[in-house]
Amino acid sequence: MIRFEKVTKKYPGPGRPALDEVTIDIEKGEFVYLVGSSGSGKSTALRLVLRELRPTSGRVYVAGKEINRMAGWKVPRLRRQIGTVFQDFRLLQNKTVSENVAFAQQVIGKSRKEINRVVPETLEMVGLRGTADRLPDELSGGEQQRVAIARAYVNRPMILIADEPTGNLDPTTSVGIMKLLEDINAAGTTVVMATHDHGIVDQFTKRVVELGEGRVVRDEASGSYGFQH
Amino acid sequence: MTLRYVFSELRTGLRRNLTMHLAVILTLFVSLTLAGCGILLQREAKVTTNALGSDLQILVNLCTDKDPSLREGNPNCSGGAVTAAQMKQVESVLKQSPDVSAVRYQSQEQGYQIARKLYPADYFSGPTPIIRVQDWPSAFWVTLKDPNKTAGVISAVRGLPGVSHIKDQHEQLGQVYSIIGSLKVGSWIAAVFLLIAALLEVANTIRLAALARRKEIEIMRLVGASTLYIALPFLLEALVTAIIGVALASGVLALVERYGIQNGLADKIHFLPWIGWGDWLHAIIGGWPVGILILGPALTVIPTLLLTRKYIRV
Repeated sequence: MIRFEKVTKKYPGPGRPALDEVTIDIEKGEFVYLVGSSGSGKSTALRLVLRELRPTSGRVYVAGKEINRMAGWKVPRLRRQIGTVFQDFRLLQNKTVSENVAFAQQVIGKSRKEINRVVPETLEMVGLRGTADRLPDELSGGEQQRVAIARAYVNRPMILIADEPTGNLDPTTSVGIMKLLEDINAAGTTVVMATHDHGIVDQFTKRVVELGEGRVVRDEASGSYGFQH
Repeated sequence: MTLRYVFSELRTGLRRNLTMHLAVILTLFVSLTLAGCGILLQREAKVTTNALGSDLQILVNLCTDKDPSLREGNPNCSGGAVTAAQMKQVESVLKQSPDVSAVRYQSQEQGYQIARKLYPADYFSGPTPIIRVQDWPSAFWVTLKDPNKTAGVISAVRGLPGVSHIKDQHEQLGQVYSIIGSLKVGSWIAAVFLLIAALLEVANTIRLAALARRKEIEIMRLVGASTLYIALPFLLEALVTAIIGVALASGVLALVERYGIQNGLADKIHFLPWIGWGDWLHAIIGGWPVGILILGPALTVIPTLLLTRKYIRV
């Protein structure tokens, strides 16, 4: 589903590359943690998958397509297959919960009928029944992250990218969010989650890819965060 | 594509940056009005040239049956109306002159028709009209290579039989053309400065609008909205401001045409032909140069297209 082939990404200026000849292969339906200290290249890797960045060398494949060679006008179509969740939720504060979720459908031209059907269904799925008309400000952090997940998942993407989704949440709330991501994964969506959250990685055992100074230093099918090498 | 979002964003955007949009509209309005005035002046110059000749031309009037020049003792017309042989001689003298670039014959009928456009209708009607076809002289329009070298040509034909009167357009129209020309250049220069100001304002407005919408834009990009969809509210905003600017400028130009020209100058100055509503329409829709209906939207939409590419890069 996602394949990095000797991917190097160097930002302008001096210093080592953010990613250095990284090769990773993520199968359809996998749940993968991307761990590593700050500056290890996690966010760069995620942005490469979204084609927000292009590699300096090497190739990135998403759903069988080499995306660094993709024409600009095809990028939106690629992104419709990828849902994205961030640590800071990134909700539109002036829109209600259901408007925030519906926004992701409106802007890619889904019909009103479809939106009216899918949005309540998705809100229900992420456990936000009864909050449709509330504003993000009126919700807890965990609930806001659920709205963000609903927005990322409402178009039923093949891939869900989560950049520190539990970073702003307390441990109990984080567990709830993880369960939700597991459910989404169980429904067939490939999940790639960049995280610093030891507890979560150790509790929900999955494949762990650890980056260190831009290189893959560990790739374990069923790993923990605290592995020392 | 559901356009509901686009239109609601358009409404919000226009409201959010109201003062900026007003500034763009006002600048556009004034600059388009000036550009339109430039076009009208150019049309006026053209209408005048068509009727009276350019300042490179000399008009050689030929004798009519009872030529008015007889009263001044012009011997050339003592034989009555110009004969075919006399006409031929005048034409060949003109064509042989090294200062002449072209010679065009204008019949009595053609001259009369032009006169009808220039003078009030009552000159031509009634039982004893002031101007009749047979009173209007046939003529040669002589185009010179250099408008300042009229003397040689004039002296070559002045004494020829059949030549009634010679009008040097350069002398007569030179001032009119130079006034029209300076007004035209002036209004275009002012229009260019204002249009640059309008462009800069459009650029600023887009920057502010992109900033105000940055969160929406980021989310739209991430969920895979097309660049066009993201840019559409910006483009529509640009189009709306342009349309308002064009409408205001067209209105003012219509007032200029109605009260400035038709009920103003045209009433007072009869020796010049004046532009009409067709010319006003030309200033709006245009041909060459393009009219303000094209110029206005182009000035807002093109920079918007270029800048949104920068600010909302996918």
